[in-house]
Amino acid sequence: MSEVASFVRGTWTIAVYTWREGMRKKILMAFLILSVLVIVGSNFMTSFLTQVTPGSEVDMEVKQMKDLCVTAISIFGVLITIFISASVVPNEVENKVIYTVLSKPVRRFQYLLGKFAGVQLIVILNLILMAALFFVALYLKERIMPTLLLWSTLLTYFEFLIVSAFTFALSCAATSAVLPTIAGLFIYITGNLTEYLKDVFVRAGQTDLWIDRMIGYISYGLYQILPNLQNFSLKNQILYLASNDPPRDILLPNLIAYGLLYAVAGYLMAYWIFRRKEM
Amino acid sequence: MNTIRKSLVIVCFAVAVALGAWQGARVRHLRESERFYRWILAQSTQTRLFAGDTDLSEQQKLDFELYYEIVDAADTAIPDLPVGEDDYDADGKPMRKMTIAARDEQYSALVFDLASGDVLAKQREEFLQYSRERKISSVASEFDPAAAYSEGVNVSLANIFFGFRKVAANFIWLQVDKYWHQGMEQRMIPLMTMCTWLDPTFVDAFQLGAWHLAYNMTAKLPDTPEPLKVWNEKYKARIGEKELYYYIAIDFLKDGIRKNPRNHKLYFDLGYAIYNLKMKDYDNAVKYLTEAVRYPHEVWVPRMLNISLEEAGRYEQALAGWETYLKRNPGNLTAPTFIVRNKGRIKEKQANEAAERARNATDPQAAAAAKAQAETLRDEAIKIYESMNQAGEDPFAVGRIMKIKADRLFEEGLYLEAAAVLQNARWKSALLWDEATDMMIQAKIKGNIPLDLSEKKYVLRKEEAEKYKQAPKPQQQPAPAQ
Repeated sequence: MSEVASFVRGTWTIAVYTWREGMRKKILMAFLILSVLVIVGSNFMTSFLTQVTPGSEVDMEVKQMKDLCVTAISIFGVLITIFISASVVPNEVENKVIYTVLSKPVRRFQYLLGKFAGVQLIVILNLILMAALFFVALYLKERIMPTLLLWSTLLTYFEFLIVSAFTFALSCAATSAVLPTIAGLFIYITGNLTEYLKDVFVRAGQTDLWIDRMIGYISYGLYQILPNLQNFSLKNQILYLASNDPPRDILLPNLIAYGLLYAVAGYLMAYWIFRRKEM
Repeated sequence: MNTIRKSLVIVCFAVAVALGAWQGARVRHLRESERFYRWILAQSTQTRLFAGDTDLSEQQKLDFELYYEIVDAADTAIPDLPVGEDDYDADGKPMRKMTIAARDEQYSALVFDLASGDVLAKQREEFLQYSRERKISSVASEFDPAAAYSEGVNVSLANIFFGFRKVAANFIWLQVDKYWHQGMEQRMIPLMTMCTWLDPTFVDAFQLGAWHLAYNMTAKLPDTPEPLKVWNEKYKARIGEKELYYYIAIDFLKDGIRKNPRNHKLYFDLGYAIYNLKMKDYDNAVKYLTEAVRYPHEVWVPRMLNISLEEAGRYEQALAGWETYLKRNPGNLTAPTFIVRNKGRIKEKQANEAAERARNATDPQAAAAAKAQAETLRDEAIKIYESMNQAGEDPFAVGRIMKIKADRLFEEGLYLEAAAVLQNARWKSALLWDEATDMMIQAKIKGNIPLDLSEKKYVLRKEEAEKYKQAPKPQQQPAPAQ
């Protein structure tokens, strides 16, 4: 029992340390400040830009504000996620702090779990801050509690969790943060284009060549295995849905489970790479 | 030991990926079912509201066929549902269970269960197949707006935007707004279409777009004289340049309804802003406003429905509507006036029916009884209208009282006096203008009183319009029957 407690305590200490370290990064603060500016500014922007018919002004402004804020949270949130996920381990290697930590009675699994948890703490905190501002801005505009926004934020987090886990895995193989950062952006972009693989599968076979068919099968296999971030597009729509919407209620827990499973896969991949690393 | 650990990590990774893929397949199934569910909702609306449309594309015909297949398959799986007053089709038959379930939000879970379950598995596959082959008119799913334009083997353009289509649509809308303020209306149309293409759930764009088309585009255009109108095969009507915009606005709103079948705003605009105010087609106005009040709506929507019911001559329904409205909104100031007003209209209608019976009766006793009944009803109507004048002169009530007096003078053969009263009445109440003008001209013709120039022109215009209305029309092809 004490071993488990010690494991959890050690992991938590590393996570908190990673969180403190991460929050000191200027680039993260810059992204955060930019997103805050967009969210706060969206209120003024929509008022200045919109001059539609009386009566529909409020609806249009609210719509533009919602779309702008959800997009800002997505863009800045994913940038924060990628930068932090890509840098925590390589920076420790570069600073040689990792050698000091691993020379203590800390297992690699525990160290990595602490680092990953620290990254998630940073992502969650940033997301909470951005969502809270959006929540307040929306409430001031509509005077209705935008509770669906909480679900939208939750889904955004689980989308980031997948991107974060695989970027983190790739960062374990790198010695600097540059390549994993580029790889993280690539993961985000390709993750959104997974549907394209299905199109490739549907198109394949038209020429009747074996290579054509093979490409089709490979595409279909990848389509089945790779995470599809488009599944999380619900986060954009959820703010407009009626209070009673059965597909939303069923999809929400399924998407959360989907995000968690791929995050576990990403973390295991990170551990597999990290345990082979010569240090 | 090391190899075992290594293998364990790989196995765990493989299991996590496999579980992720399995969960992914589940999510994919739910997303496909969700698209199917949205399509059923949209298609049930199309079946109820637009099944009589004659201008159906091949895609729309297949839509109907597939929907009827779904309705048949779901019949045994849906328990008996209460059939409401307006759950009957044009032939008076009760609607099928799926159509009733799909129109009511309380059965949403039931419809989604069917859409995602085994009962409609074959139809779901057919739907997905037809969607891929672009054989049916797809609708955007609220979770997956890309579905409206990314089916088939084409690469989804929407995916390249990474879900930021809504922001793109918003910025395009700002350009539409700018063009409007610059008076460049013609440039707005393609942008409005693109805007709704990028974001099919952008209800305000559909609403404002239709408003621009029906109101702002036509603001500077005069009403097209009947001889200049031409037969439009698509809309099965004789229309001019100005009227064409009304029909385009209707199409725009119908497209919005297909994509957002449960949003009251689109039904409201179609019913009130276009059919009532612009086209004076009160029956269609009532049809769409009745649909609007079925979904969560603003407080003024039932008011406009009740007003349209009155304008369509359905005073009993209007009265019942106002009474219900007052019960729900006890402090409302307009409802009591409309309740009294509709009571007066009902009496007037009954009086006119009795007067008609008196005119047509062959038995003098029956004629006298019907005439007496008409007089009593008219007196009652006048009393009702007079009660509206207690708090100050009500132009509508004053106008209606004068109209009743004119009716009496007309029946007595005092045509000059009737025309004089009607002339006064139409200036008292603008709502009475057309009705009083028609009757005044009728009185003048009957009494051999010469018409003035504007009245002669009015008569000529009406005769000409009537002549074109009577002209034979090309054969119409109705939608496939359910």
